Amino acid sequence: MSKQYDFSRALAEADRCLLCHDAPCSKGCPANTDPGKFIKKFKMQNIKGAIRTIKENNILGGACGVLCPTARLCEKECSASHLDRPIKIGKIQEFLVRHGREINFKVFEKPEVTGKKVAIIGSGPAGISCGAALARKGYQVTIFEKMEEPGGVLRYGVPSYRFGKDSLKKELKDVTDLGVEFKCSHPIQEKGEVQDLLSKGFQAVFIATGLWDAADLFDKKPAGVYNSVDFLSSPHTIQSDLIKDQVAGKKVAVIGGGSVAMDCAGFAQTLGAQDVYLIYRRSFNQMPAEPDEKIESLENNIHFLILNQPKDYITDDTGKITGIKLARTQLAKAKKDQRRVPVEVKDSQWSLDIDIVVEAIGNKAFEDSGKIYPGVDLDAKKLIKASLEDCRTSQEGIFAGGDIVRGPSLVVNAVQDGKTAANTIDSYLKQRKA
Amino acid sequence: MNKKDIDLSIDFCGVKFKNPFLLSSSPVSNSAEMVARSFEAGWAGVAFKTLNSDTTPIIHPSPRMNGIQYGNKKLVGLQNAEMISDRPLKENLADFLYLKKKYPDHVLISSIMGFSNDEWAYLAKVSEDNGADMLELNFSCPHMSVEGAGHHVGKAFDLIEKFTATVKRAVSIPVMAKMTPNITDMTEPALYAKRGGADAIAAINTVLGISQIDLNQFTPKPNVFGLGTISGTSGPAIKPIGLRFISEMAKCKELALPLSGMGGIETWVDALEYILLGASTLQVTTGIIHYGYDIVEDLIEGLTDFMVEKKITKIEDLVGRALTNLTTTDKFDLKRQGRAEYNLDKCVGCGQCYTVCKDAGGFALDWDGDKRQPVLDKDKCLSCMICSFVCPICDIISYKEMPDTWKRQDAVVMGKDLEDQLNFQPFKQPI
Ligand SMILES: Cc1cc2nc3c(=O)[nH]c(=O)nc-3n(C[C@H](O)[C@H](O)[C@H](O)COP(=O)(O)OP(=O)(O)OC[C@H]3O[C@@H](n4cnc5c(N)ncnc54)[C@H](O)[C@@H]3O)c2cc1C
Ligand SMILES: Cc1cc2nc3c(=O)[nH]c(=O)nc-3n(C[C@H](O)[C@H](O)[C@H](O)COP(=O)(O)O)c2cc1C
Ligand code: SF4
Repeated sequence: MSKQYDFSRALAEADRCLLCHDAPCSKGCPANTDPGKFIKKFKMQNIKGAIRTIKENNILGGACGVLCPTARLCEKECSASHLDRPIKIGKIQEFLVRHGREINFKVFEKPEVTGKKVAIIGSGPAGISCGAALARKGYQVTIFEKMEEPGGVLRYGVPSYRFGKDSLKKELKDVTDLGVEFKCSHPIQEKGEVQDLLSKGFQAVFIATGLWDAADLFDKKPAGVYNSVDFLSSPHTIQSDLIKDQVAGKKVAVIGGGSVAMDCAGFAQTLGAQDVYLIYRRSFNQMPAEPDEKIESLENNIHFLILNQPKDYITDDTGKITGIKLARTQLAKAKKDQRRVPVEVKDSQWSLDIDIVVEAIGNKAFEDSGKIYPGVDLDAKKLIKASLEDCRTSQEGIFAGGDIVRGPSLVVNAVQDGKTAANTIDSYLKQRKA
Repeated sequence: MNKKDIDLSIDFCGVKFKNPFLLSSSPVSNSAEMVARSFEAGWAGVAFKTLNSDTTPIIHPSPRMNGIQYGNKKLVGLQNAEMISDRPLKENLADFLYLKKKYPDHVLISSIMGFSNDEWAYLAKVSEDNGADMLELNFSCPHMSVEGAGHHVGKAFDLIEKFTATVKRAVSIPVMAKMTPNITDMTEPALYAKRGGADAIAAINTVLGISQIDLNQFTPKPNVFGLGTISGTSGPAIKPIGLRFISEMAKCKELALPLSGMGGIETWVDALEYILLGASTLQVTTGIIHYGYDIVEDLIEGLTDFMVEKKITKIEDLVGRALTNLTTTDKFDLKRQGRAEYNLDKCVGCGQCYTVCKDAGGFALDWDGDKRQPVLDKDKCLSCMICSFVCPICDIISYKEMPDTWKRQDAVVMGKDLEDQLNFQPFKQPI
């Protein structure tokens, strides 16, 4: 992880900003962050104004500053790239939000509760963002969260070395200060419970439950094989010590090539794994993880086993994993615009000794996730059908956003959905009143 | 307290400004088309580009400005050899009418410059008759080469009084005199303006200087086809000079006129510094030349947040607040001494502190080459603090007051052995 900026570094970086007219960075953020504006404010010593610009638009501005793949968002079109490199917008943003806390600057005043009650299911980025936006409009918001602590992926997914739980806590405080109520350890799980909320005094419900089922590689899952959800959330669960013991000093294989796989590999390393292998059946460039994540993982001594297809797990007589059978692959010729597919190389099977395996091949919705909101239209993958324009579902009064609508996406997209939903809910409820 | 409780409006010579921020007279206030945009951006008023009465043809040199760069920092200062408005008077006045019609709540200050007594009176009158809320008498443009105009007046104090009095007789709107900094003491000409009836003083106009020389043509810049001139410097580089003159006039009890401060204002901090030293309206040119009209948003927001933090609701309560702490060196308590304090946790080992302390400070630093860190010999520190000015990291070097039992070590005398060869008698005051 690159170092956080202190005041002088942040200012030096802001000084590189060309203060573009019609700033291209400000068009690159899915949540409409305006870096052109907050960097200019920072340069003009209007530091509180800069922080206000960030936080009023994005309640998770600090988290986004750290977690956003800025290279393909705001920083992508930065004019300074034509000189040498883009301005490090994310890092300046993270600094400003942190600095705001250091100088005890409160962006928000506690809004007066004037409006009706709204329920939100899930306290991930989408739920938080929607809750904060509604609270600022005067609504009384309750967020139901099945886990013990709020934050969604920010707490139970992203490892601490990337985004500290302390930062999360502080950013969440801005939300509770707005009057948003978190009801943790409170799963919404009964059949039709979401609809029931509507008859229990809540005027609207926003579903932001994310994706918490992990895809399985094979039918069998021998001892020592984890999925990414259980593995990454382990610091916060009873499995914490167990997994730590199992990984320290051991050989760990992570299967997958996305951002989650990179996190699993990095997390295994922080637990003291002796060697971490990353197994991916396609090429390096085809890995969906962000380019800088991949480079960082390589530099951190993760062994990349690309063009390798897992075939089977090898176990000892107690049923515990001892190795993986792999086959080498080659990329087939491209078919039209499609991704080149990996094809097994004949007679190339080999096996890798391994103590622990983490499968990180994709998060999905639970098969029965629709149970709590029957009547809300879902697609084949059990994702909720909702328009990203307004987050409306097929049922009146029920709105949805974030990963449970988009599929695996980004924090910043979830934040945007939360804002969109808040606006729709606001106009929906105002209309109903009229 | 919150932002809603803050009132940035100010009464200046009986004229109400919705905030203290104005365009100063210059290219940024050259036409109503531009000024209108500035009003939309949030500026409360304008000192319009200095009018002329069409008797003298005005042609600007080309090019007419030069930017002063320091390292990679652009526009730390600006050099200009621009004249007063080159637009026909009628067009400027028509623009006045437009602005007053469209923006009745914004303050229109007509900046004028005459070349004779009658011309001053004429320009004052037509300004008033066409909507100006106030006048600013330009006694300070350094580039007008006509005797009896611009800064030539600003340096001939009796003319200041005379022209001000003429204008005051011609109009009933408040009159402000804009002063040149290219003199040693501004209170004196300001008092002449007051005697002439001025209601306020505006300062500073640009500081005479030479910013750069074209090394191939041996010509000062702006290089106007092979020739250069001593001309007006503005922008951040001249802020210390502007603050000085404003504070001296604010301290002058006899003067006691409202002050419109300018010179190097870009941020709310610059503006606040002018306010704390006695200015109650603020004018900006170079900041706008550098960043555009939008900086007013940051001026307003930054100042408002500051006032919320300090629980001060009105600008008036800030005006001149630093003046009581501004004094002369003889009032300093020299018994209290201190030194630099180093906290090396964040030190990156560049060693700039060592270099400057050795060559320009008390040689109080040693250099640990293995650790790449300075080692402070505390008793040798002069508390000049130059090390802190060059240190790239915040918070490493701070100032620490020492108890009165502490004694600073004297500088080493290299010629100790040679003292017997000294050719020297202590100075005795002749009786
Ligand atoms: C390991 C990992 C790393 C990632 N890294 C990044 C990154 O670096 N940058 C980035 O932009 N994106 C990243 N993402 C993606 C990003 O985290 C998600 O897109 C985002 O969190 C989606 O937000 P959400 O609010 O929709 O869902 P979530 O964050 O998944 O939150 C959903 C919440 O709902 C709760 N919930 C679910 N069902 C119920 C129920 N029935 N009752 C009550 N509560 C319920 C869950 O417990 C959870 O707290 C990462 C994702 C993962 C898995
Ligand atoms: C290009 C230029 C033209 C100017 N023209 C005038 C003018 O016509 N009349 C005037 O009173 N001052 C004029 N000034 C001086 C400014 O109004 C102001 O007093 C000075 O620039 C200091 O403020 P600043 O540092 O904000 O620029 C001019 C300044 C510049 C840079
Ligand atoms: S700023 Fe505009 S008017 Fe001035 S030289 Fe450049 S292009 Fe020409």
